[in-house]
Amino acid sequence: MKNRRRSLFTVLAIALGFSAVTLFGAFTSYMYAGNREGSIYSSYMGHILIARKGLEDSWREDPKKFLLTPEEMDYITRTCQQIPEILLIAPQMRINGLISDGKTSTIFVAQGIVPAVQDVFARETRLRLMEPYEGKPLSDTDIYGVGISKGLANILKLDLGSEAVIMGTTVDGQMNAFDVTVSYLFNAPAAAINERFLRVPFQLAQKLYDTDGAHYISLLLKDTKQTEAVRTKLSKIFADDHRDLGMKTWNEISEWYNKVKEMFDMIFFFLFAIVFIIVVMSVINTMSMSVMERTREIGTLRALGLKRFGIIRLFAIESGLLAFGGILGGGFLSLVGWFLVYALEPKWTPPGITARIPLQLYFSASQIMMSMFFLLILCMIASILPARKAAYRNIVDALGHV
Amino acid sequence: MALIEMQNIHKTYRMGETLVQALRGITLSIDAGEFVAVWGPSGSGKSTLLNLIGAIDDPDPSSESYRLQGQDIFSLSDNQRSEMRNRNIGFIFQQFNLIPVLSALENVMLPLQIQGVPTPKAREAALRRLEQVELKDFIDHRPDKLSGGQQQRVAIARALVTHPSLVIADEPTANLDTKTAMVIVSIMKELNRQEKTTFIFSTHDQRLIDHVDRLIHLEDGCIVEE
Repeated sequence: MKNRRRSLFTVLAIALGFSAVTLFGAFTSYMYAGNREGSIYSSYMGHILIARKGLEDSWREDPKKFLLTPEEMDYITRTCQQIPEILLIAPQMRINGLISDGKTSTIFVAQGIVPAVQDVFARETRLRLMEPYEGKPLSDTDIYGVGISKGLANILKLDLGSEAVIMGTTVDGQMNAFDVTVSYLFNAPAAAINERFLRVPFQLAQKLYDTDGAHYISLLLKDTKQTEAVRTKLSKIFADDHRDLGMKTWNEISEWYNKVKEMFDMIFFFLFAIVFIIVVMSVINTMSMSVMERTREIGTLRALGLKRFGIIRLFAIESGLLAFGGILGGGFLSLVGWFLVYALEPKWTPPGITARIPLQLYFSASQIMMSMFFLLILCMIASILPARKAAYRNIVDALGHV
Repeated sequence: MALIEMQNIHKTYRMGETLVQALRGITLSIDAGEFVAVWGPSGSGKSTLLNLIGAIDDPDPSSESYRLQGQDIFSLSDNQRSEMRNRNIGFIFQQFNLIPVLSALENVMLPLQIQGVPTPKAREAALRRLEQVELKDFIDHRPDKLSGGQQQRVAIARALVTHPSLVIADEPTANLDTKTAMVIVSIMKELNRQEKTTFIFSTHDQRLIDHVDRLIHLEDGCIVEE
């Protein structure tokens, strides 16, 4: 602490390291939140999907076999209405077939949703741009108005108001077709499906498959944190009622979310390790120099009766103070970084997404606390090595040090 | 019972390949309240003897015994020695060895704070000691703002603040002019007289010798005259 310039540089190194970790942590939190919100809200999948057991693995073999019957849909709806954590209960269809503009035909996959749920999903998410689209959303009154992904619209040269034909096989194996109108154009949630994705009213999906059933019942919860609790509750009820129903939570369905999270967790860990190694080396250097310069002082303190542990503690406290100063400085730099991002609103295109979205930073209290804790502890530990060396030095030698 | 009892103390230093015998079988007894000077030329072993008396250095294993206030110093652990130094021994160094970032008052409070004395009580005791050495007006000054004589007076106050039974001063006047040196010696002498604190200091300054009660003359690591 005596050499102000060196201490200042160490504090600065700690501050930069801490702010780098904090800002990157805030970015990863934003990424996780964005992916989570995208998986739950933008895709209109909700927190939990209820379906007949085996749907995910073998629905192509016999789509009819895995459709929920109206009785089952009614049972699920009644059961879920008893659980206060559930905000919305809505059936969904997953269909596929051919779409044609009269000249060109291509395959499509579509999600059949109840149009009325769109508002609820949009209202509940914390995403600033949930799913940018052009045109007007699906409507309960116009069941032939569909949303079409921009990639698919490009292939078929379709625009807002254009007409097309969707064809599919009913659950009984008959061909079925309907004229549809393009109500809106949107970017599919993943680039991989942007050239074949449709979103259609649930009623139209049922008509195309000629069924009064549904593939899923989607549940939107009041709070994402309640997902596991609600699933546990429902599992018990379904088991008690001997129902052959399975459930998937949003994070089980979203492979993308899990992979992105895994990847960013790993990147965060490496960054954290690199930054902290640099910081620790800087602290060791500062403390070693400090110990060397203050050898005579250490000898004096030992002669006056300070124990070896007292010397080590003294340097650990000094190191802790440097770390504390660095954390304060780093906190300030992080706030500056957050303010710049907030004020400049930079936009970016994340991998797998087709639209530019605003970059945001979500500070995570637990992540910041963890970084602070590790930084303080590591800085204090970093001072122990040079301090221990000083504490165990012969007092007479230390007093004679020039 | 004598305050200090040393029997056949040896100390050898290794300087590269050479072994230097700094003390050769010192046997010494000093009573409480004595004002003693260890005198001799450079390299005679004065500082080595004082370091051993102050329990900041270890003698050769062949040494017989050293008792301070009846306590066998060789048998103490490092922590026990530290505690013993803090409570029973005050140090005054040739280079003053004040902590540069602390004020005069804080420097004097230091031994008490090491002892765990609460700050207000330590402050009060330190103020009293600084008053005794006539530095009341300099309590907030850092060492670099004090003259050599003033710094040594702070060091004396620091050495005495715990009411030790023994004060060791290694060449306390070596870095001071004659006038200041005499002032420092008279302060030490006065404190010795008032509080019966034992003072042992090393010097090769003939002018200071007249003020001591007892003179130990060292040459080549042996006591040649008392």
